[in-house]
Amino acid sequence: MAEIKLKNLTKRWGEFVGVDSQSLHIKDREFLVLLGPSGCGKTTTMRMIAGLEDPTEGEVWIGDRMVNDDLPKDRDVAMVFQNYGLYPHMTIFENIAYPLRARGVAKSEINPRVEKAAEQVELTQFLDRKPKALSGGQRQRVALARAIVRTPKVFLMDEPLSNLDAKLRVTMRAELKHLSRELQVTTVYVTHDQIEAMTLADRVAVMKHGVIQQLGTPDEIYNDPANLFVAGFIGSPAMNLINGSVEAGEFVTTGGTRLVKLNTADRDKAILGVRADDMNVHEAGQGDIDVKIYAFENTGESTLLTVQWGRQRVIARGDRHLRKEQDDVVGISLNADHLYLFDPETEDRIRI
Amino acid sequence: MTGKQRRQFWSAVHTVLILVAIFIMLVPIVWIFLAAFKTHVDVYQLKLFFTPTLENFDIVFDDPYRLGEKLFNSTFVALVTVIIAIPIATLAAYSFSRFSMRGETMMLVIILATQFVPAVVIILPFFVMFRDIGLLDTRTGLILVNLAIVMPFAIWMIKGFIDGIPIDTEEAAMVDGSSRLQVIRNIVLPMAAPGLLTSAIFCFIIAWNEFLFALILTNKEAVTLPIGLALFKGEEGDLWNLLSAAGIIIMAPMFVLALMIRRYFVQGMTMGAVR
Repeated sequence: MAEIKLKNLTKRWGEFVGVDSQSLHIKDREFLVLLGPSGCGKTTTMRMIAGLEDPTEGEVWIGDRMVNDDLPKDRDVAMVFQNYGLYPHMTIFENIAYPLRARGVAKSEINPRVEKAAEQVELTQFLDRKPKALSGGQRQRVALARAIVRTPKVFLMDEPLSNLDAKLRVTMRAELKHLSRELQVTTVYVTHDQIEAMTLADRVAVMKHGVIQQLGTPDEIYNDPANLFVAGFIGSPAMNLINGSVEAGEFVTTGGTRLVKLNTADRDKAILGVRADDMNVHEAGQGDIDVKIYAFENTGESTLLTVQWGRQRVIARGDRHLRKEQDDVVGISLNADHLYLFDPETEDRIRI
Repeated sequence: MTGKQRRQFWSAVHTVLILVAIFIMLVPIVWIFLAAFKTHVDVYQLKLFFTPTLENFDIVFDDPYRLGEKLFNSTFVALVTVIIAIPIATLAAYSFSRFSMRGETMMLVIILATQFVPAVVIILPFFVMFRDIGLLDTRTGLILVNLAIVMPFAIWMIKGFIDGIPIDTEEAAMVDGSSRLQVIRNIVLPMAAPGLLTSAIFCFIIAWNEFLFALILTNKEAVTLPIGLALFKGEEGDLWNLLSAAGIIIMAPMFVLALMIRRYFVQGMTMGAVR
């Protein structure tokens, strides 16, 4: 068990900057998720922690040791790979036992530990099979068991659920969360799936172009996004981003509609962010503004109304019992407590 | 023609074409096979029915032909070549596959390009060199030459097999506590085993069949089977029945190996595909 410190960590391949001088302090026993679109540097960051990639500059600290020059095997980490990285020529038992054998654990100790790990991921009955005889979810469990069979200082998980089908992903996510709370080991988890990040993380680091955009609890990055990128990346459906300006303390859309009062200085260009959940749907005439429905979608647990708002389309979430048709007119009001304003040039948040 | 008839017609055409191809390929082999069991008298007649004899096989192992010595030379040279070539080629192929080096592509091309040089061009330098350092007519000399011939093939083939091993698997083993050499021993070698065996057999076949260098660089002690065939050109003309018997001795191991290589070849090719 240990904390991880990254100090001005940089990875460059020639001109291309994969990770741009990032510093990050991951606390002991913390579950930290690196979240971002593909190519944002999250996997590279993790691979540098694992020792599979050498940093161009900067330092990686695990516990009180600078591990830059340590081989992966000497860093005392365990890693779960996206493609599982199982050893196809070994049985499941041998797969799970490998980290113990490679580290010269006594034979008498290997059996009980493998069995315990297999039990934790419910694989006991498959121990003498080969990986190819298992399903995707079972293979992922083998990879997990192989990670937890030792007690490493750090768990590293590289998109461990992304090769599973949607239903299994939800189940495994819960299992993963349960396991991580039980084991209490510092974990770095890479994903591009914001739901995984929201549900699993103690803290999330949202990355883009090799730079951490925001570091915070799931609550913070969802309800208090630091900039336009985080706001647009987190949440499903994505946050509505409405172009306009601030005039005389009111947000005015590019179409000229005066929307809401904002306690901020006037500016020529601004982007108003509002989540679908913070747009209340009313009958026509009863909201702040009347809009025409472009598409009405019923997801079962709620309804999504894509409405034509001048030249832009925005999505509002309605009650699950709401029934409307395309081209119907509805009233929309904004929940003034949860509005976000951004500068379109710098993409920074403007606090209101 | 109805659709069904058309299908039957084309399927018949396929069968005939395949039979023709097989016929063309097999005729010489069948002829040799028959001749090997014929007496000297029968051999010039294209008889399919005759009294088979094993006499030819006795003769070729006796004085003056002593095919046994050549058989030993061939086996020894081919085996030692493979035993030396495969480990070295595996390490080279692993390096080419997994590390990026300056001029890597160039090196790979050069390695392959050595095979584009016609053997006759370099055989004289070889002869002069071997004469000066006393390697003429030695098995050691032949092994060296064969190594130079099979290594490029082995490196390219094995590299292909190693490329097919997912890098994740190796990285997992490294994180799990293995050094690079342990990764190669515990993960790469077992996973590439079908490929290694295929390459080994391939190299063995090349070394076994090698003719030109053995012809020029040996004359008595280190003569191999293919060169041994020339012994059967006697004063009474070509001794086809003996030639054929020796031919079968040369071919027999190749048949067995080809059967083995076929099974592993398919396995080797599909290995990378099933993750």
